[in-house]
Amino acid sequence: MRTERAATLRVQNLSKRYGSGETAVQAVKGVSLEVSPGEIVLIMGPSGSGKTTLLSMLGALLRPTEGRIELDGLVLSELSEGRLPDIRLRHFGFVFQDFNLLSALSALDNVAIVAELAGLGRKAARARARALLEELGLGARLHFLPEQLSGGEKQRVAIARALVNEPALLLADEPTANLDSHHGHETMRLLRRIAKEQGKSVLIVSHDARIQDIADRVLWLEDGEFKEMRSLATDPVCGMTVEREKAVSAQWEGKSYYFCCRGCREEFLAGPQRFGKATT
Amino acid sequence: MYVALHNLLHDRLRFALNVLGVALAVMLVLFLLGLEQGLRLQVTAYLRQAPGSIAVTQAGVDSFGGGSSLLPPGLEEDLRQVPGVAKVVPVLTQTAIFDLHDKKIFAFLIGYDPALGGGPWRIGEGREPRERGEVVFDRVLARLHGVRVGDTVEVQGQKFPVVGLSEGTASWMTALVFVRKADLESYLLTPGLSSLALVTPAPGVAPEALRARLKGLPGVEVWLKSELIESDLRLYQAFFKPVRLMSLIAFLVGTLVVGLVIYSATVERQREYGVLKALGARNARLYGLVLAQALAVAALGSLSGILLGFAAARLVLALRPQILVALEPGVVGLTLLTGLFMALLAAWLPARLVAGLAPAEVFRR
Repeated sequence: MRTERAATLRVQNLSKRYGSGETAVQAVKGVSLEVSPGEIVLIMGPSGSGKTTLLSMLGALLRPTEGRIELDGLVLSELSEGRLPDIRLRHFGFVFQDFNLLSALSALDNVAIVAELAGLGRKAARARARALLEELGLGARLHFLPEQLSGGEKQRVAIARALVNEPALLLADEPTANLDSHHGHETMRLLRRIAKEQGKSVLIVSHDARIQDIADRVLWLEDGEFKEMRSLATDPVCGMTVEREKAVSAQWEGKSYYFCCRGCREEFLAGPQRFGKATT
Repeated sequence: MYVALHNLLHDRLRFALNVLGVALAVMLVLFLLGLEQGLRLQVTAYLRQAPGSIAVTQAGVDSFGGGSSLLPPGLEEDLRQVPGVAKVVPVLTQTAIFDLHDKKIFAFLIGYDPALGGGPWRIGEGREPRERGEVVFDRVLARLHGVRVGDTVEVQGQKFPVVGLSEGTASWMTALVFVRKADLESYLLTPGLSSLALVTPAPGVAPEALRARLKGLPGVEVWLKSELIESDLRLYQAFFKPVRLMSLIAFLVGTLVVGLVIYSATVERQREYGVLKALGARNARLYGLVLAQALAVAALGSLSGILLGFAAARLVLALRPQILVALEPGVVGLTLLTGLFMALLAAWLPARLVAGLAPAEVFRR
């Protein structure tokens, strides 16, 4: 793999408020963060904690109400709206939960089109896309449509697309959520390889506690603010990550199990042997 | 462009149906434009082919086909005396009803002097009238009613032997039938009278200058022939308007078809457009994508529609030869422009939809 340029993301006192007056909602409150080159940062938190809003602001998809975002010395929060598409195209790589591949295009074209958008000629874009897909083990799937690929393959195509313009930072939103355990691990290993071998910064937003294994740092976002990292567990029924202190719990065969809600607890207690191997 | 094509071709059956929808609308536009052009050509055929560049009618008569004109006796001689006049061709016209196979058929009789001109400009079969009572019949009218050279046709009890069949003289209203002027004078009991005088200026004399000289003649209206043609076309506007209205409806249907195709394709791929926007595609690029899809559907639909239009015109010619659908290059060009305009109009709403997409929505599920 190639050695890539280093990048650092610096976020200072970032806030996002939707609406105004009494109906205003403060989605993100004064968040500060720094991501070093080659570092993998995982942001976790309950639903509605502001993770998606934060990720959208970091990816120059949404303007913050206050605060400063700096990438590679470029202050994104001060750039005009018209410059943001170019910044997204060249400085960020996006990986989505639903893969978000263009259904009418082959794997090769899905990757190449992003390079073309950045100004590369069609032939060169396809050559670069081909090299990346082959590097990610998809050499035999170049001309397959997304519907003909497995979930893991789709996510690898999406990662190749994220990498094709050699961005400084990869932003991944629940990258393992739609994948089975095997493909989830495969994707995690791939993201780690990209960070460590190419020196790219990777920022992941996820509920999946397994990603902690590859993260250099885990941050807990709650009510729009970073809070002290909680002690986490996985709900054995629905798979959600829950805080042990706040979760509903149950004992079975001497072990404690934690649930996101009473419904999951009752389902578990109705047949615990079905969920017995879950993380406690 | 390849993204647009891939988007369109992803569901080939739907794409084919969409192209067919546009093709039918374009065919209808082309057919109706051709029909209007055919009507124009038919109602102006005689004046366009007749000799001379100046036409003289009775004062107050402002059309050739729609008005009843009788020139003052002796006018032809007066016209010939005016300096700059090279030739004067008098014609006498009258609408007549022929009895053909127990049917009453309207035709426009043109009485002319074969020695001077003003008769049929193309004879497909037979010859010009030489003897008393001979007529040259329009070939299409003759075919429709089984009239052949050598047959006799009857007008109000008088018999006219058919000696020739003319071409280019058919009409959806009244076809042209040519007879010697002297015979028509005799039939109408108007000896020595004419309806119209066609004047040819001498070499080097401008028609406008000659018209100015002729304007002083009493009891007549002097026209440049092109002006009288325009005046005739104005008279027939009432017939053109419904055809134009139908063309407009066909255009709107076509636009609606392309618009629905592109709008539904855009809505269906709304999320994908949002993804492209999030990845860094500018609005202009996405507009281009939407427009390319609209253009591809419109272009294929237009070309197919033009082919269908030509086929429809041939079919009409075979079934109703008196109706001329004139698919001239100008009409085809106008139809292609219509197709292009359809695409532009149809792409407008989907483009607005794309412009309104918020890239951050891509993270929402």
